[in-house]
Amino acid sequence: MGASLRAARAGGRVHEMSLAMEIARIAEEKLGDAAPQLVTVAVDVGDCAGVEPSSLEFCLEAVFATPPFAGARPHILRCSGDVLRVAYLEIDDGRPDD
Amino acid sequence: MAVRTIEVRERVMARNDELAEQVRSRLAAHGVTAINLVSSPGAGKTTLLEKTLGTLGEELDIAVITGDVQTQNDADRLAVHTRRLVSAVVTGGACHLDALQVMTAIDAIELDQTRLLFIENVGNLVCPANWDLGEKEMIILFAVTEGEDKPLKYPKMFENARRVVMTKTDLLPHVPFDMDRAVANALSVNPKLEVFRVSALTGEGLSGWFDFLRDSARPVTTSG
Ligand SMILES: Nc1nc2c(ncn2[C@@H]2O[C@H](COP(=O)(O)OP(=O)(O)O)[C@@H](O)[C@H]2O)c(=O)[nH]1
Ligand SMILES: [Mg+2]
Repeated sequence: MGASLRAARAGGRVHEMSLAMEIARIAEEKLGDAAPQLVTVAVDVGDCAGVEPSSLEFCLEAVFATPPFAGARPHILRCSGDVLRVAYLEIDDGRPDD
Repeated sequence: MAVRTIEVRERVMARNDELAEQVRSRLAAHGVTAINLVSSPGAGKTTLLEKTLGTLGEELDIAVITGDVQTQNDADRLAVHTRRLVSAVVTGGACHLDALQVMTAIDAIELDQTRLLFIENVGNLVCPANWDLGEKEMIILFAVTEGEDKPLKYPKMFENARRVVMTKTDLLPHVPFDMDRAVANALSVNPKLEVFRVSALTGEGLSGWFDFLRDSARPVTTSG
């Protein structure tokens, strides 16, 4: 909750912060031990989702900079409708390309 | 660099919605009607609940869950008006209640002895719209001191609500508030809204609200 409060005070973005934290929970659930390797988190945001894309992006940056993550970049994919969905995650597992 | 893509395609609200459905079926199994009260801070949720508990608390076996960012003040205010437990959820910064908090809170409530459950949400006209709590319906309070345009500024809340309670009508002589325009704005966002007009201070309009609640609560089962 520390990150949430800090960001909320920084910009009154509590709404997007709570969504960002839910997105982090989903990512953590998918990745488990690989969470620190996350480099991109892509989120579909519909124009009627009731979410301010740039604000969500700001909050995702804050949340994904804190452990277990290590600075994943948010990627907001704007679309139509009321969609709000984690589209995909990209991880860099440090292994050379094969 | 070996970057791998993992397809997810998971709705952000999926887990909350799943928990909300569990809350909903649990409440249904016990015949409890749950109402999620939302509004901006200070619109009069706690005051309306105080009056409601005072008049109908016993008659309709009302239980209450209050959500608050930092304090238990609302729960303390309400506990004065009922012998039943008022369950306080302190969200610790979050701007809304979520279904997990409600799920935990109803564990402490005697559902078999409850017919009507009020959930006083955190005062906020934005966030609660996204978070289903498993309620039967969301009701929005809209005070005459807030300005007629609020339904247009916060359409999602008014779209999701079934009813709107215009509060503090005793203040109408003192504020430049056009009730007809405010209601028209609400209806333009959601034509199905049913509108109440009440003053918790003078009691004006409360009888219509109480009648609605009597209709919403399941009848007392006489068997057993
Ligand atoms: N004049 C007037 N004031 C009211 C009425 N209902 C609530 N208030 C006042 O509005 C303030 C906020 O009320 P409260 O119930 O705490 O709002 P909540 O934040 O939505 O729970 C308090 O000072 C109340 O006394 C009303 O019907 N008329
Ligand atoms: Mg209150």
